[in-house]
Amino acid sequence: MKYMFLMYSPEDAWTPEQWKECVETSMGICQELASKGQLLSAAPLHPVTTGETVRVRQGQRIVTVGPFAETVEQLGGYYIIDVENLDEAIAIACRLPPAQKGTVEIRPIRNIDGLPSEKLELKTANSLEKFMLLCYDDEQAWAEAGPAAHEAAIRDAVSLTHRLDAKGHYLSAAPLYLSSTATSVQVRNGKRIVTDGPFAETREVLGGYYIVLAEDRAAAMAIAAQHSGARLGAVEVRRVFELPS
Amino acid sequence: MNGQTLLPAKQNPCQFKNEIEEIYRVDSRRIFASLVRLLRDFDAAEEAMQEAFAAAFTQWEQTGIPANPRAWLVSTGRFKAIDSIRRRQRFGNSASEVAKRIDEIATLNAARESEDIEDDRLRLIFTCCHPAIDPKVQLALTLREVCGLTTEEVASAFLLTPSSMAQRLVRGKAKIREAGIPFAIPSASDFQERLDSVLAVVYLIFNEGYSASSGDSLTRAELSFEAIRLGRLLVELLPDPEAIGLLALMLFQESRHKTRANPDGDLVLLEDQDRSQWDAKMIAEGLQLISHALSTRRFGAYGIQAAIAAVHASAKQTETTDWAHIVALYSALFAINPSPVIELNWAVAIAMKDGPAAGIEKIESIFDQGHLEDYHLAHAAKADLLRRLGRNQEAKIAYEKALALVKQEPERRFLQNRLANLPN
Repeated sequence: MKYMFLMYSPEDAWTPEQWKECVETSMGICQELASKGQLLSAAPLHPVTTGETVRVRQGQRIVTVGPFAETVEQLGGYYIIDVENLDEAIAIACRLPPAQKGTVEIRPIRNIDGLPSEKLELKTANSLEKFMLLCYDDEQAWAEAGPAAHEAAIRDAVSLTHRLDAKGHYLSAAPLYLSSTATSVQVRNGKRIVTDGPFAETREVLGGYYIVLAEDRAAAMAIAAQHSGARLGAVEVRRVFELPS
Repeated sequence: MNGQTLLPAKQNPCQFKNEIEEIYRVDSRRIFASLVRLLRDFDAAEEAMQEAFAAAFTQWEQTGIPANPRAWLVSTGRFKAIDSIRRRQRFGNSASEVAKRIDEIATLNAARESEDIEDDRLRLIFTCCHPAIDPKVQLALTLREVCGLTTEEVASAFLLTPSSMAQRLVRGKAKIREAGIPFAIPSASDFQERLDSVLAVVYLIFNEGYSASSGDSLTRAELSFEAIRLGRLLVELLPDPEAIGLLALMLFQESRHKTRANPDGDLVLLEDQDRSQWDAKMIAEGLQLISHALSTRRFGAYGIQAAIAAVHASAKQTETTDWAHIVALYSALFAINPSPVIELNWAVAIAMKDGPAAGIEKIESIFDQGHLEDYHLAHAAKADLLRRLGRNQEAKIAYEKALALVKQEPERRFLQNRLANLPN
């Protein structure tokens, strides 16, 4: 099963040395996961203050600077892994340094047919930057809209991935299972704390993601505005921090 | 695997029906647990099991009951489930996923022997009590899926409407299926932590029933019964000292069930209970279990609490209780779990051993650390010790504090009664 880890911690919790150490430890774990074929993608994100949130209402694009939700702990990075079950995912999450300062939210990824093949190993070309688009949905609103509307939105999203792929801008995308399937993991004093539910209880919750290449931030936001979910929810655009391999 | 020798078909159709019903009563939860492992889906497993029993009714009438009915039912249920998966693909599941599931089911089942069915029940318990599931949902899932209570029964035990309980169960099952919570006995590194979580669920179920804080007392008593049944199952499947300790603890507490309240529903303290009414059979079983648990030298908090209960159970009267032993056990318990509530019980034991003044001193030291100020039993215990010393004015103040905090009606009546009977 595929899982997405969302790494939440207060951005000021890390001294530059600690952050460097965290990155090194994390990269070690990444190598180990990659050697077992369990790692699909992982990276820190640029600070949240450099992010933007895109909504589309009545055909108009509304952009707000900053993250989708104002919280003390910020989304600082992500992992996408492929392991047997939740227990294996929890065991990996507990080893990651941010689990000790913040929270790792584990989200199961929905498998859907028709997506282009993932190109996560692709090196960023000189002129392009890597962005993560985090799609926040109002689950209640979708539940009321009914399964047909939801399936139509997913078909829309799949066709967007093919348009991106045709231009060589697609790296990965997937919907997540409902936020009620989330599991949050923390490690405090060497003891792990596993709880049901997402890291933060908000009305709009993360429902899917895209990892794309774009010329610049404006181009990434233009992609975000094409996501059909932006009409009901919001898409947070975050630049992916590219680590030396 | 179904080519076993068959018993001759029963002549009497009524007896035949009774036998299948007996198999359903005794084995359906085990068969369900195995199907859950194979299908990784509670609803599909439930449906497959019902279909397997329906098939048994028609087929066994001709062929007779197979030598291993459980294995027959698991295998038939599995085939029914594969048919059903093929027939209607669950909304949102991709075709490749469905094909993969069918494949998995086939390979998982191929190598299995029926002996594994016992382990499947243990797997199911660990799954329902997984820490990634909301604790409230863990309780409900365990009662519904492991104990086999109906949704209505679980709902009434928790004072919820059947529809909101059904929603809670659906949420739990979706979490298990979609988040990939495995049907597995946890690995050695997680085992103790995961077992703690299971034991906590069983004890919570027991206490829901035992405290009878509200609601229909009959249903509540059934919860205690189910908890003890689960405790026995755990001990049978997994003879861990803490599991044994928990079962013993529940048996000791349950043995006093009838004497905890008088016919008017008023509380009767341990010291005033009619000990001849305690259930001697449960006590004997508890004593045997606890001596076994303690002999492993790996016991923990449940084992010590059971040992304390065993000392009470062994005393013919309050006066002959070995209070020094109880004080020592509380100090060991407090070392493992330094909670103020345990310290309060320890204080009461000290009062019984060394006199009320020593107990009051200890309770006051708990208050001084800023604990239990808003816990009615702490004030009630202090009031009682003051009363014994004849410090009635202070006792009155403490009873009033307790009364201001108490929530349950029988406890309120008890405290009011004590206050009213204080000499001026």
